[in-house]
Amino acid sequence: MKLLQQLFEAVRPTFETGGRLGVLKPIYEAMENFFFAPSATAPTAPYARDPLDLKRLMSAVIIALVPCLFAAFYFFGLRLIAMLIVSYAAGGAVEVTFAIIRKEQINEGFLVTGMLFPLILPPTLPLWMVAVGVAFGVLVGKELFGGTGRNIFNPAIVGRCFLALAYPAAMSGNWISAGEGFTGRFFQYVGTSDINAITTATPLVLAKQGSLVALPDMFLGKISGSIGETSAIAILAGGVFLLYTRVANWRTVVSILASFALLAGIFHHANPERFAPVLWHLCAGGLLFGAFFMATDPVTSPVSNAGKWLYGIIIGVITLLIRNFTGYVEGVMFAILLANIIAPILDEIVFSVRIRRLASEG
Amino acid sequence: MLHGRPERAVKVLPEPDVLYLPLRSQRFGFSEVCVNDGQRVDAGDILAHDPDNYAVPLLAPRAGIARLKTTQNHIVLEDIGHLEEHADMSEEELSHIVQEMGTAGIKRYKLLALGAWQFFYDAYTGALPDPLGTPQAIIVSTLSLEPFVARGDAQLHGRLLNFTRGLEQLQSLLEYQPIYLIMPDIKSAFASQVREQIRGYAWVKLIEIPLKYPYDNFNILVRTLGLKKNAGPVWAVRTEGVLAVDRALTLTKPCLVRIISIGGPAVKSPVHLKAMPGYPIREIIDAFGPTAESRIINGGLLTGETIASNTLGLDVECRGLTVVPELKDRQFLGFMRPGWNRQSHSRCFLSSLRKNFRERLTTAMCGELRPCISCNFCEEVCPAGIMPHRIHKYLYRDLLEEADQSRVDLCIHCGLCSFVCPSKIELRKQFAEAQLLIEEEKKESQQELAQEKNA
Repeated sequence: MKLLQQLFEAVRPTFETGGRLGVLKPIYEAMENFFFAPSATAPTAPYARDPLDLKRLMSAVIIALVPCLFAAFYFFGLRLIAMLIVSYAAGGAVEVTFAIIRKEQINEGFLVTGMLFPLILPPTLPLWMVAVGVAFGVLVGKELFGGTGRNIFNPAIVGRCFLALAYPAAMSGNWISAGEGFTGRFFQYVGTSDINAITTATPLVLAKQGSLVALPDMFLGKISGSIGETSAIAILAGGVFLLYTRVANWRTVVSILASFALLAGIFHHANPERFAPVLWHLCAGGLLFGAFFMATDPVTSPVSNAGKWLYGIIIGVITLLIRNFTGYVEGVMFAILLANIIAPILDEIVFSVRIRRLASEG
Repeated sequence: MLHGRPERAVKVLPEPDVLYLPLRSQRFGFSEVCVNDGQRVDAGDILAHDPDNYAVPLLAPRAGIARLKTTQNHIVLEDIGHLEEHADMSEEELSHIVQEMGTAGIKRYKLLALGAWQFFYDAYTGALPDPLGTPQAIIVSTLSLEPFVARGDAQLHGRLLNFTRGLEQLQSLLEYQPIYLIMPDIKSAFASQVREQIRGYAWVKLIEIPLKYPYDNFNILVRTLGLKKNAGPVWAVRTEGVLAVDRALTLTKPCLVRIISIGGPAVKSPVHLKAMPGYPIREIIDAFGPTAESRIINGGLLTGETIASNTLGLDVECRGLTVVPELKDRQFLGFMRPGWNRQSHSRCFLSSLRKNFRERLTTAMCGELRPCISCNFCEEVCPAGIMPHRIHKYLYRDLLEEADQSRVDLCIHCGLCSFVCPSKIELRKQFAEAQLLIEEEKKESQQELAQEKNA
């Protein structure tokens, strides 16, 4: 540890502005502050600061993803490792390039995007598509808007949306069946060529054809679908952790799930033949994953609490409408993107009311 | 539980050999010096005035010889005599004042001349109120909730009689305006004792405020009480101020000593102190702390000011010294540590599973500056009900007018938003600067308007 710190001190001049590798300063700083807590002290009051920083905040999200990752390995095998590596490498390259161009520090937000992205993809997607998707998502979804904190859309969802529109066959055709037994697919690498493992329907597709998958399987995640989205129980475990740590706001999650469940309940009650029951809908597709991990992104969701309620309701309702009344089988992705567009408007409405109320103060 | 919270006990400091009286404090600048270099002064003599603040005086806390040139920006008192204080005001002086200001003015003159007026605040602006003005109400707060500053209960301890007498004296300054007495628990034994003492004083209204920082802030209190700014000024005063009023008006004696605190994580035995302005800070620090390299703050942890190395003595407004250890070692993989004893607004640390723990604070930023991610933590903790994240975004783009519309002027500088911000943005500082800029601009535009009218 001491040695490492001395090493950092020794090479520091090389990376300072004007040094031989001054261009790579963001990388040096990111590495140094990754290993050692920053040395800055509070210049003005308050003289002590909350120990929470963005690194901690983002690592909380990654901890919350651990159950999902575990389930993903069990059900879909080791290929996920390759996808994670590709996702981090391609997205990281874009992020670092922009940090160097802007002469800013590398932001931690990317660590989450890089991990979320493979989890919302089909398990057999070609690796080059993973790379293209995440690069597009980070570039167009985030960096073009000015980087962390200024983006309108969730970068991971932008990347997925791009892939879904550009390569519809690859994104909806190849679903492999989930692993079974004691070891599942822990020691298997199931790629595009393993035709034996491939089935062609996710529960939502099967439902369109009129057959419902059993609820316990869906709850555990023993179904085909996007890598990290199948296991409801793993998502719930991580999601509850996120809500407890206050990294994700409970209002968004509750309003998405409540509005979705309420509307699904009404539909099912009106026509049980055509519309699936509430619990089935809740566990199907990417709804839970989207509600806990995607919609709660603080940057792209509304800031105000009232805005968060409305935002959640919009996502819940649109998801259900797309699922049941359009040609698409899953609507979470589009619902979140649409709500991302509306989020600033919701904030604007809430804030104008609040500012009017504040105007009469003191 | 904060490590380094001052105990309730009040210790008396040994008499100093030399006093270093700073000519500046948070609100005052004593630029009109009234003594000559080498002049012998008595305790309670006026050493200097602040011409911008109703000529509020800087009193000599002890008898001694004044030196003006030995230390910059200080009046140094050498050869300190142990005389308690000088006699009452002379008869001629009093009759002169009666002629000038009438009998009603005499009390206010006493408050000002005997050093009690400096304990008064305008509840809206925090400035020194006009001693001859008439307030719409007086707020008396027994609370002092900022971490590590002198607490009201320590100052009040054993001086209940003086306190109620002070309240009576305060009332005599008013006609029919109410006095709001702010207490943490109006059902406590202490509160009922106070109520017993002031029974029949219909003009005192007991108000309960939770023991939560910063609900003792005068600006928040006037808003809670629903007092309107255009109905006139509101005077606000803390426990020490009421005791000073009692001393000045009942005994006609100058207020020379105040109870301050020495606290903070680096202090070995945090405690309250009876100290006078000008007391050498070094001596206090050497006697009570610090355990390691640390930063000395005038005031509390969240709103205080770092004491510059060329300030040698306590200033007249000091309410406490806070000593915070400087960050020493950089933690290895700090963001992955469980955080068993770290205080956080979020629950990202294992400490959230513990109820009581002693935290060791340092001056560390605990993170790097990042863009705002709109986590809304600042709004959740803001006691003024404004939206710090939004104002920050306006100020980032230099949109002063929008920041003004978002009521940046309601900010009370409690420092909570800067404390919780995970992106480590200096919100408190930004807002203070914006308030000054906006005020300046408003003044300028008013002047222009007036000039146009004249033309």
